[in-house]
This record gives sequence, structure tokens and C-alpha cells, in this order.
Amino acid sequence: MIDDHEDLRQWRLPRGRHGLPRELVERSQRERLMAAVVKVTVRKGYESTTVGDILGDAGVGRESFYELFDDKLACVVAAHKLLLDDLEQQVRAAYIGDGPWPERARKGLEATLEWFAADPEAARFLLVETSTVGPTFRSIFKSEYARFTSMLDEGFDDSTPGPELTEATSLGVGALLARIYEEILLNRVAELPRLLPDLTYGFLVPFVGEVAAREQQRIAAATS
Amino acid sequence: MQKLRSSERSGTVLRPTLPPDVAGRTQRQRIIDAIIESCAVKTYAATTITDIVSRARISRTTFYKHFDDKRSCFDAALDHCLSELQEIAGASHDASDAPADAARKAATAVLETLAARPGLAQLLTGDAIALQPKVIERYRRATVPALEALWRSGGKRPQAHTDPRLAFGQAQVLILNQIAIGKVDRLPDLRGEIVYLTVSPYGGHEEALKQARIARETQAGGAVKR
Repeated sequence: MIDDHEDLRQWRLPRGRHGLPRELVERSQRERLMAAVVKVTVRKGYESTTVGDILGDAGVGRESFYELFDDKLACVVAAHKLLLDDLEQQVRAAYIGDGPWPERARKGLEATLEWFAADPEAARFLLVETSTVGPTFRSIFKSEYARFTSMLDEGFDDSTPGPELTEATSLGVGALLARIYEEILLNRVAELPRLLPDLTYGFLVPFVGEVAAREQQRIAAATS
Repeated sequence: MQKLRSSERSGTVLRPTLPPDVAGRTQRQRIIDAIIESCAVKTYAATTITDIVSRARISRTTFYKHFDDKRSCFDAALDHCLSELQEIAGASHDASDAPADAARKAATAVLETLAARPGLAQLLTGDAIALQPKVIERYRRATVPALEALWRSGGKRPQAHTDPRLAFGQAQVLILNQIAIGKVDRLPDLRGEIVYLTVSPYGGHEEALKQARIARETQAGGAVKR
């Protein structure tokens, strides 16, 4: 199966002559390179990572690399986008739909924490390593942030209380980002799901107030 | 003949001769201001020593008299910014203010400073974190205990409603986004949210909302809008 959201780490082609169509080979190379750039930058840091390091890890030739990407940065940006697409898809599935908004919000939070916990390397790449790439980081950050605030907005319905704070949506996304970032730095990403109850409260309270936020916090504590 | 640098020229009314230690400090300060400005324009990663020395109008030799390299210059700039903000936050309120009022005033003062000096905001939320993610820990050591102290009564630690460390991270994300979308001059638009985040950990949701309202109605400089 090949779609935009397949697992980057498991896609490998057999070596040597395999008779596979060129398009498939390129696709595999592209994804191996993106998986490699995640792994290598997390290990060595963006600055000291070379294209050679990425090639070595991916088992792809230099010429193929430059057919697919302009440079190291382009490869980082592509990997970043692919991972975020996958995260967005997961969160969407949990959050957008029917049911009372606070409950869907809690489920969206749960899906987010689980996604990050499942792959600490990707988590560090997305939130920590990408911030070191220089000027491009500002535009990456801007678009990723807008992506999640607008998804949050999209999921609002008539049951969503109009929060008094105009930037409540940003507060929510900020709460999530800040918490995950912190756990990455402390090397505790795998334990993120344990934080769901407190995060649920902190996320919801600006929107729904004390009582309703505590209720979702209790549900989160009881189900996790 | 060697050309004299500005700080070495003989004094005039406008440019009095400074004792060497003062001139030295001024140069150092100019270098620090220069790296902050350059990072704001092109980020730390793209800033070169040449950028710094030309902005500061000093020679490379002078630069290296004060700093070993770009990184040590940046670290000095960071220390400088942090202590300046701490001072501003501390001076914004006094002992007669209730904890939540004091927190609101401190948050508003810091936000206004960042809006007036975008380079500083960019350095603290962008480059500093990219260079050493753990710098956030330093920010927190500078802010969280001060916040806690406002609510401390009779030596007893206040009970937290939400994690103050997390609130701090949220504030930082909001400010970073404001910078990323190119609206750093509109940072004061966020004062309701930032005050909410500052007050809510120890003051709770309701008190934080109340303070956010006051902050929104208060114009820069502290006058309440009529």
C-alpha cells in the first residue's frame, strides 16, 4: 500500500535488480531519505548533519538525492511536512465529527499525545530540531501553527462556548505544543499520554470554564 | 597613521572623552545591541561577525577583545535581555498590589517592552531556543519563583491550579507565533491572553479572566480607557 501516510521507517526496496517501476523506486528513495534525515538530525543536530550522512543512512546515492531535493534543508522541510500531514490526519479522525465539542476536544488531545509518544524521534525532529534551521524556521512554524489552530476552529460547533479570550484557540494549541516540547527536552515523550487529564483541563478551561473542564479532566483520568 | 575609532577620538561637547572602562562598556553594549538587531532581521544562524561589527561600527579586533566568538556574544546578549526584563517586571508593581494585580502589571510591562523592542522578542523566543532548547529552563527560573512569591503568604507555598511552567511555555508559543506572522509590533494585542496565562496558575481561571479584562481595557502606560 502506498499513500501519503505510510510509515516512513518500514518502506524498503530489495537491493539490486527488482524490476520495479521507476516511479516506485523514486518514491521509496524519497521516503527513505526523509526517514534518514529525521534520524540523523536528531542524532547529530541539523547544523552538523551533512547530505553524506543522510545518504549513508538511507542507502541512496548522491545523484538520486539531488534529483529529489535541492539540498539538506529541502529534505528537512519535506520530512517535516510529511510527518505533520500524518499527525493532522490522526487528530482529525479523533476530533472532527459528531458529539459534544468538549468531548471531541479531549479525544483530539488524546490522539495528539499518542502520536507523539509512539515516535519520540519524530517528536524531537518536529519540535526541536526544526527550530535550528535558520530563517526558514519562521515560515515553517507559522504554517504548522496555522494548520492546527484552523483545524481546532473547524471542529467548533454550536455547542462550543464562545470563549471570552479572543485567542483561546491559540492558547489551546500553545498549551499542547508547550507541554510536548517540555517532555521532549526531558526525554519523557513516551509517557505523554499520562498527562492527558491535566492537559485536558488546561486546554479546555479558557473555552468552557472551570466546571466543564474539570468534568472532562475526570473522564480523561478514568479512561487512561 | 592608524585611523582613530569613534570612542578614541578626542572629546567634544557632543562626544566627550570617556574613561576607558566606560568606553569599553559602551562598545560592549553596542556589540550586544548589534547582535540583537541582526538576529531580528536574519536570525542567529544567518548572522555573521561582519554583520555584527558593521552594525556596531567597531572593528573585528574590538569585537574579539570583548567576545571569543559569535556564540559567546549571543550568550551575553541573552543574559543582558533577561536581566533587563526581570528589572522591568520587578519595577512594574509594588508591595501594596494584590498578587493577581501585581502579576498582571508585570506581564503587561514585559509585553510592552517586547513590542517596543522586537529584536529582543525575537532573540528570546526564536534564536535562543533554537540554539539551546534548555534556555527555557532559565526563563522559568527567572519567572516562576517570582510568580509563586507573589501568592506566597506566611511562608506557605501557594497551591497551583495549573502548572505555571506550562503557562510559561504557552505564552512563549503565542509570542513566537505573533513574531512569525510578522506582527511583533502588535504584541500588546495579546495582553489579555498573556495576563490570563500569568495569573491562572496561582490565581485560577476566574481571577485570570478578570485580570485579562482589566488588561485589555488598560492602554499602554497604565491609563484605563474611558
